[in-house]
Amino acid sequence: MNKLFFTLIALLLFMLMSLIAGLSFGPTNLSNAQVFQCLMGHCSDQVSQMVIWQVRIPRVLVALVAGMGLAIAGAILQNTTRNPLADPYLFGIVSGAGLGATIANISLGEQLAIALPLAAFLGALFAITIVLIIAKVLQSMEQLLLTGVAVSFMLAAITQFILYFGEPFATNRVIFWLMGSLSRVEISHFYIIATVLLITMFIIAALHRQIDALLLGDESAASLGVNVDKLRVLMLGLCAALTATIVAYCGGIGFVGLMIPHIVRQVIGVTTLKLVVGSALIGGSFLIWVDIIARSALANAEIPVGIITSALGSIFFLFIMVKTRNIN
Amino acid sequence: MSIQLHVDQLYWQIGNKIILNNITFNVNKGEVIGIIGPNGAGKTSLLRCITNQQKNTKTAVFSGSIHLKNKIISQYSAKELAQHFAHVTQKAEAIFSLTVVDIVKMGLLPHKSLFAIDNDHDKHQIKLALKKVGLAHTEKMKYSQLSGGEQQRALIARALVQKAQILILDEPTNHLDVYYQHQVLNLINQLNITVIMTVHDLNLASEYCQRLLLLEQGQLIADGKPEDVLTETQLSKVFRLPCIVTQDTLNQKPRVFFSLEQKKATNIDGVSKHE
Repeated sequence: MNKLFFTLIALLLFMLMSLIAGLSFGPTNLSNAQVFQCLMGHCSDQVSQMVIWQVRIPRVLVALVAGMGLAIAGAILQNTTRNPLADPYLFGIVSGAGLGATIANISLGEQLAIALPLAAFLGALFAITIVLIIAKVLQSMEQLLLTGVAVSFMLAAITQFILYFGEPFATNRVIFWLMGSLSRVEISHFYIIATVLLITMFIIAALHRQIDALLLGDESAASLGVNVDKLRVLMLGLCAALTATIVAYCGGIGFVGLMIPHIVRQVIGVTTLKLVVGSALIGGSFLIWVDIIARSALANAEIPVGIITSALGSIFFLFIMVKTRNIN
Repeated sequence: MSIQLHVDQLYWQIGNKIILNNITFNVNKGEVIGIIGPNGAGKTSLLRCITNQQKNTKTAVFSGSIHLKNKIISQYSAKELAQHFAHVTQKAEAIFSLTVVDIVKMGLLPHKSLFAIDNDHDKHQIKLALKKVGLAHTEKMKYSQLSGGEQQRALIARALVQKAQILILDEPTNHLDVYYQHQVLNLINQLNITVIMTVHDLNLASEYCQRLLLLEQGQLIADGKPEDVLTETQLSKVFRLPCIVTQDTLNQKPRVFFSLEQKKATNIDGVSKHE
């Protein structure tokens, strides 16, 4: 209890530190003192005020909730499917969002600013619905994941087909969006993602014991009174909605849902409540730092966050494989 | 003894295959019942029906009834059934380095409302259960690090925390060596609750069960005390092997020997023939 308590406090402090860092770092150099002054409503100049309140606060807050959401979705999918490699992206969510964004791009043109997130969200939900329907027919966990991969490839192929014949400018826009970026986020996006995140966490908190029971197998969970099929569909739907909301505003940010729960299991524990709280704290901090790198690494240019998370994620997994091999 | 469970003319068919055929028996409070029979006889299927876990597909035909405390089990919710039955399943592979406490804590689920967190009483119950199965020292260990026998005992501790009145076990001695087989069955006998379990080893069933149900191709062939059920005639017919039943000189229980050659089975020293 004590060890867990102190670990969570340390992670919470690290998250607060990450938030401050997220507000300080960037092309416009601001000291911590300037950041605090602006937060208290006493900005030294108008430029600082604008940078802090209109650019960095929305961006850092969206990074925080997006990182939390992606990590939680990964954690829940891994626990409910008993598969350590389960990830929101494995269920075709990003491919579906990409298809939705592409169709919106081609058909709507200038009205895109409003339509793209909505189209991406609908595309993601469409993908997960197909996966769930096929999985329901097949009735198998292994096949559920394979179905997700198959649907993902199918939707990606359709997207690429449309983009191949599409207008070059629109094609570029969709491709950059799919790489994942926090450069166009607004404070309203934070409110939307945070609301979906809170609803998700509320439902998980209510059902955490039932999700834990799945860790020992479906038969064992059913013997404890869990309606396994209903719980799994509910959790998949919930994770899909959460990821779709994040993808709709931030584009494709891969590997967070796959990587963060692995770290949390080593540091905090494997049961649902510990995993979700830990994933929220570490996932949120992680994406803030990735965004800091994304906007600070190159002068006069920003790297899409999805590229950085994918690069870090692949290195992380190679490291895990080498470590596991050494232990064996 | 009061009747705790009443199974009446249970019939289950999937497609053309009859899984269970006209099974009728009572379970009395405090009995330790062993379900025996060859592979495919319907032992695990019977356990599934008792706990209302049978899968009803479109081609399934199901009839008969199972009463728990004078109420048909299908009228109980899944949560209510989990408060009455604790089911230790055959396949219980933990994933993600669950600790022993994590596993035992799962037994609280049927008694907890949404959002409920563990209180001091729960923690005390978990400690007591672990102590009762002799695993108090393994509390913080990973479940996967335990031996097969210890894993079974951890699952029994989970069943104790579940506070069910009937313990259902599917092959509790599967994959265990002789030492752990006796340790686990001895523990089950000392719990003083109603137990229904499937057992492959007839001699273990004879030693540790007060009553046996012999199944063959979904039918209940015999129901009674081990000495009444474990007869050469019945066992030879059901298991399709020449069989000798003798009486164990230590505990006076029937001992069963199978052999492809009848002579070898009859020349076993140190035992007296039972039938």
